[in-house]
Amino acid sequence: MKFLSKTLLLILFLFQTAQAIEVIDILGGKANELAVAVIPFSGDDTDNEKNQIHNIIKSDLSRSGFFRIIKTEGVKSLPANSDQVDYTFWSGLKTELLVIGRVEKNEQQIKVTYDLVDVFKEKLIISTEYMGTLKQARQIGHQISNVIYEKITGTPGVFHTKIGYVQKVNNKKFHLNVADMDGFNAKSVVISNEPIISTRWSPDGEKIAYVSFEKKKPVIFVQNLKTGDRKLVANFKGNNSSPAWSPDSKKLAIVLTYNAFSQIYIMDVNGGDVQRLMRSRSIDTEPVWAPDGKSIFFVSDRGGGPQIYSIDLATEQVRRVTFEGKYNVSPRLSPDGKLLTFITNDNGSYKVAVQNLMSNQVMRLTKGKNDEAPVFSPNGHMVLYTSKESEKETALKTVSLNGFKQQLIDTGPLSNQEATWSPIDF
Amino acid sequence: MNKLFYAGFAMALLAGCSSTPLNDANAPSDAKAGAAKNGELSLDKLRTDSLLTQRSVYFDFDKFEVKPEYLDVVNAHAQYAADHPAAKMTLKGHADYRGSHEYNLALGQKRSVSVKDVMNTSGANDSQIETVSYGEEEANQNCQGQECGQDRRVDISYEVE
Repeated sequence: MKFLSKTLLLILFLFQTAQAIEVIDILGGKANELAVAVIPFSGDDTDNEKNQIHNIIKSDLSRSGFFRIIKTEGVKSLPANSDQVDYTFWSGLKTELLVIGRVEKNEQQIKVTYDLVDVFKEKLIISTEYMGTLKQARQIGHQISNVIYEKITGTPGVFHTKIGYVQKVNNKKFHLNVADMDGFNAKSVVISNEPIISTRWSPDGEKIAYVSFEKKKPVIFVQNLKTGDRKLVANFKGNNSSPAWSPDSKKLAIVLTYNAFSQIYIMDVNGGDVQRLMRSRSIDTEPVWAPDGKSIFFVSDRGGGPQIYSIDLATEQVRRVTFEGKYNVSPRLSPDGKLLTFITNDNGSYKVAVQNLMSNQVMRLTKGKNDEAPVFSPNGHMVLYTSKESEKETALKTVSLNGFKQQLIDTGPLSNQEATWSPIDF
Repeated sequence: MNKLFYAGFAMALLAGCSSTPLNDANAPSDAKAGAAKNGELSLDKLRTDSLLTQRSVYFDFDKFEVKPEYLDVVNAHAQYAADHPAAKMTLKGHADYRGSHEYNLALGQKRSVSVKDVMNTSGANDSQIETVSYGEEEANQNCQGQECGQDRRVDISYEVE
């Protein structure tokens, strides 16, 4: 636990010491990671290395930014259970935690047993057994990661959750895909000949709203993930875009243009009762509801370039939120409403930033230079975003708030972008 | 490369226009003739007129103001719309790939609206013009520097075409 308190202290320090607005670039901080060795599980004869339980756990824990993975290649005698641990050896490698496991399989079932061991205290922390079908092997790996993550950080893990994203196939087909949060088990829920953007998973987990250009202009659809039905919910004159769910999943904030600039409206999820939120002589777009439902954050160019503002839904008072830089777009809030993530243009490089809404301190989490569409993980510990390296296809990555660990989401070589994240209890 | 060539060609045409103004698009006799035909469109004119055949208006980075060098083209289309009340056109705004898809959609829309505003002041009726945006969805996702300017534009198209 001491590792965790050190980490949290550092985050608090970073966020609260600055009174004036100050931007900090921190990339790849390593100081607060807990050293963990995940031993290959005995009896895990899965051919594809990526599907081996210990590799699933390693990928998850590494992604979180709270753990540094100790390499076990070349170690002569790897323990198969906690009784066999040579504590002197592992402390010599500066290993703080050990994950040791065993796999037993028959033709249909898999049983996975694992031990989490504190090397310094020479103590077994957790020992648990999971049973499932063979197809559930990856889920079992993610569940083990979740338990370890929560034990160490005190916050539930999100390794069992899903993401949605748009996959471009040869620039001709656009797939709205749903996959495990690490990119595995992808399934297409919509396939279109026209672009799809702005995917938004509903807070109740049942639906994904998105923007399609299949009417030769942007319109808003809602895809029901349970029934497979999809519904055209906004097809007004001009553009229909940027859907944002209310916290109760009953309303959508949307952006309409008619024959003028983009403006924000609120409507029922079925497309009824369309109300204009506010009138401006500027672009107002990319609305996002605060988790308490009391305000909406949005992007406006009313001050010249695009900046993030919020409007209080009771008083209709508008407040500017971002001040650093000339281009800040794509706001999304953390589940507790305390942090704002967005894209900032830093001298021509588009980076993922996070702003503490109490201190207004800004941290840039990535190097750019063409990052887009950030969204918090359902526990608020990571940000999922689109990254593009020149001449390469766009790819999805996560960056952790602790340690700023950037890790690819393995969705294959095609162009993947415009991601959304399921709720935690999905 | 085609796009670049086209832009160069358009610029050459524009340069030509500034030295020898083409007023036939604004000629009153033409206007009367168009109106007299009760809604008929002179498609030949759309296809041959040196200004009306120009269908793209280009913009600076993160900007939406119509640049002075495009006013002749925009005004020619406005005059055509004024002369042909049955004409319906779509102004489709675009943005380069950099930045957010949604903000680029809004920016493309703002560009198409600013072209419409110029057309309105030149006599085109609002009901003849629909403004939409494709944002960055048709943009070159690997453009570099000046090349990206090709994607910051509004395309003018007519319903009959």
